[in-house]
Amino acid sequence: MSMRNTNFIFLLVFLTAFTLSANEAVNSEKLTKLYTPFTKISIPPGESMNFSIDLINNSDEKLTTDIFVSGLPRSWEYSLKSGNWTINQLSVLPAEKKSVSLNVKVPHQVNKGNYPFRVIAQGCDTLQLNINVSEQGSSKSEFTCDQINMQGNSKSTFTYNAVLRNQTSEEQLYALTAESPRGWTVNFKPDYKQATSVNVTANATKNVTIEVVPPATVAAGTYKIPLRASTSSTSAELTIEAVITGTYTVELTTPRGLLSSNLTAGENKQIELEVKNTGSAELKDIKLSASSPVDWSVTFQPAQIERLNAGESVRVIASVKASSKAIVGDYVTRMEAKTPEATSTAEFRISVKASLLAGWLGVFIIVIALGGVYFLFRKYGRR
Amino acid sequence: MKNKKHTEKRQNPFTVIVQKEISDQVRSLRFLILLAIIVLTCTGAMYTALTNIAGSVKPNDPEGSFFFLKLFTISDGTMPSFLVFITFLGPVLGICMGFDAINSERNRGTLSFMLAQPIPRDYLINAKFTAAFIVISILLFALGFLTTGLGLIIVGIPPTVDEFFRIVLFLLIACVYVAFWLNLSILLSVQCKQAATSALAAIAIWLFFSVFYNMLVNLIAKGIAPSEFASANQMVYFQRFVLDLLRVDPAHLFNEATSALLIPSVRSLGPLTMEQMVGSLPTPLSLGQSLAVVWPQLTGLIAATVICFALSYVSFMRREIRSR
Repeated sequence: MSMRNTNFIFLLVFLTAFTLSANEAVNSEKLTKLYTPFTKISIPPGESMNFSIDLINNSDEKLTTDIFVSGLPRSWEYSLKSGNWTINQLSVLPAEKKSVSLNVKVPHQVNKGNYPFRVIAQGCDTLQLNINVSEQGSSKSEFTCDQINMQGNSKSTFTYNAVLRNQTSEEQLYALTAESPRGWTVNFKPDYKQATSVNVTANATKNVTIEVVPPATVAAGTYKIPLRASTSSTSAELTIEAVITGTYTVELTTPRGLLSSNLTAGENKQIELEVKNTGSAELKDIKLSASSPVDWSVTFQPAQIERLNAGESVRVIASVKASSKAIVGDYVTRMEAKTPEATSTAEFRISVKASLLAGWLGVFIIVIALGGVYFLFRKYGRR
Repeated sequence: MKNKKHTEKRQNPFTVIVQKEISDQVRSLRFLILLAIIVLTCTGAMYTALTNIAGSVKPNDPEGSFFFLKLFTISDGTMPSFLVFITFLGPVLGICMGFDAINSERNRGTLSFMLAQPIPRDYLINAKFTAAFIVISILLFALGFLTTGLGLIIVGIPPTVDEFFRIVLFLLIACVYVAFWLNLSILLSVQCKQAATSALAAIAIWLFFSVFYNMLVNLIAKGIAPSEFASANQMVYFQRFVLDLLRVDPAHLFNEATSALLIPSVRSLGPLTMEQMVGSLPTPLSLGQSLAVVWPQLTGLIAATVICFALSYVSFMRREIRSR
């Protein structure tokens, strides 16, 4: 072999080496694959998705390659893991495959749309993936109630069932406040326990019961109560409505509250009564009546009150006439103020006193008898 | 009058006679026996009342606040109460004090001797009555307050002012009641020449009223009773008539008057219809109202006493008195 032969061999070796190296490059391009079955996925904001990606080495040689994700928006979080380790490089034996887990978390604040990105195994393969965000994401809280309007009278308790939704990605501690009119009591009861603040985990909801107690003297009408659940970063508002119907209460008493009187059998006595409207609505046609012992008569002046505004009172004169056969002692007379809506009764204890006439008659008889004796003394004495 | 002497002090002759009469009465064996009987019976009544007083207090009793008055009215049935004893023995006391007031003096011949003194004639009968009345009053008040005091010691609950005045009024009425029988017996002693006759007559009247009069009234009531189906009005009139008949008996008047005073929840002494009871409250009456309820009875008792006295006075003044 000559120099020329030596050169040929050299060339051949060179060519072979070149070819081989070119072949090797081509082979590693063709024989190494990145694979995952779900390449386009729809998820709502705030969710996360696990892609299981296989790196397949079909070559005859061991393959070592860098692996990374490219094209995801900056605010999105992702992690590439295999066997609990976060990895940047992967090595696969010939004719084997290795699984890599890609976890992508979609933030809450994200626009609806298609987000393509790639997983790249450096120098080997590129895998094109798509995440379709199905809804518009937000950083809001929501405070909602199905039934914001309730009706009742001034003595009822209004109970609203509201839902507080935390749509942010963080856990929030909401302060619950109400701008209620003066005299109203508003109690927040998350989980049926009274509280002024409530903790809601990210993207979760909490049922909040709201109890509203109106003041006792509330006038009829519609009252709006704005409620607010707020944190330093987010807040939600809800306005509830309480419709107060008027209450009808009437009270029958006397100006001094004294419910007893006395009179002589067969006599007439006037008792001053007071009819009060203690409710919150106007009373109409208040009728006054009495149930008294037999043969007694009770008349009212006036016997009927046409109208009485809330909080007002009116004087009524009741004239009680005892039966002439009433015996000495106490009797009960029940007086009643009545409207179709409300009634009030007052029981009077009426003491019947003995007539003085009989007493004076007795004194007269005794005086006559003693006078007779005195007359006898004058006539027969000193004799 | 026995052993009539001139006193050294220059007193009103009327007072002298009264004092003398009182000392005669108190020292007499008759009075001592009577006193023993009454004190014994009242002690017995007191004993039954005190042993039963605990059981007599019931819950929701309208007379619960008049606990002390029960001492005079309750009994367990074995022994009559204080009130019943006074009703029964009061007449005996009165009759014993007065049945020989005039006629024994006359029979002894001291009457003309007395009247020979320079005193008005009516001083004698007035003094007789006054002395006996004073003795009776002292006796009754002593008994009443003895009962009150013993009750206070044993029960330990003092009577209220209202109860105290009720007790005093009760004792006053008892005095008037006994005074009626006293006057009646003085009247009889003026009328009858023998003391035994007047005593028998007085006891006969007392027996008639305490035993036979009720029977008689029952007989009359049975005779005139309306049928079962008579109207309520008729029944009321009938009951009222029978009650009026009973009220002729001074013992009945005394009973009604004192029971209303000692039992404050008694509101009426006549028959009551249901109509009158509707709506009434079972509350006790005030003292004034109780007094108003028994006022007619009181009037009757006082008037009867005064009339008896007037009759004996007139009869004595008109009587011719001669020495034996």
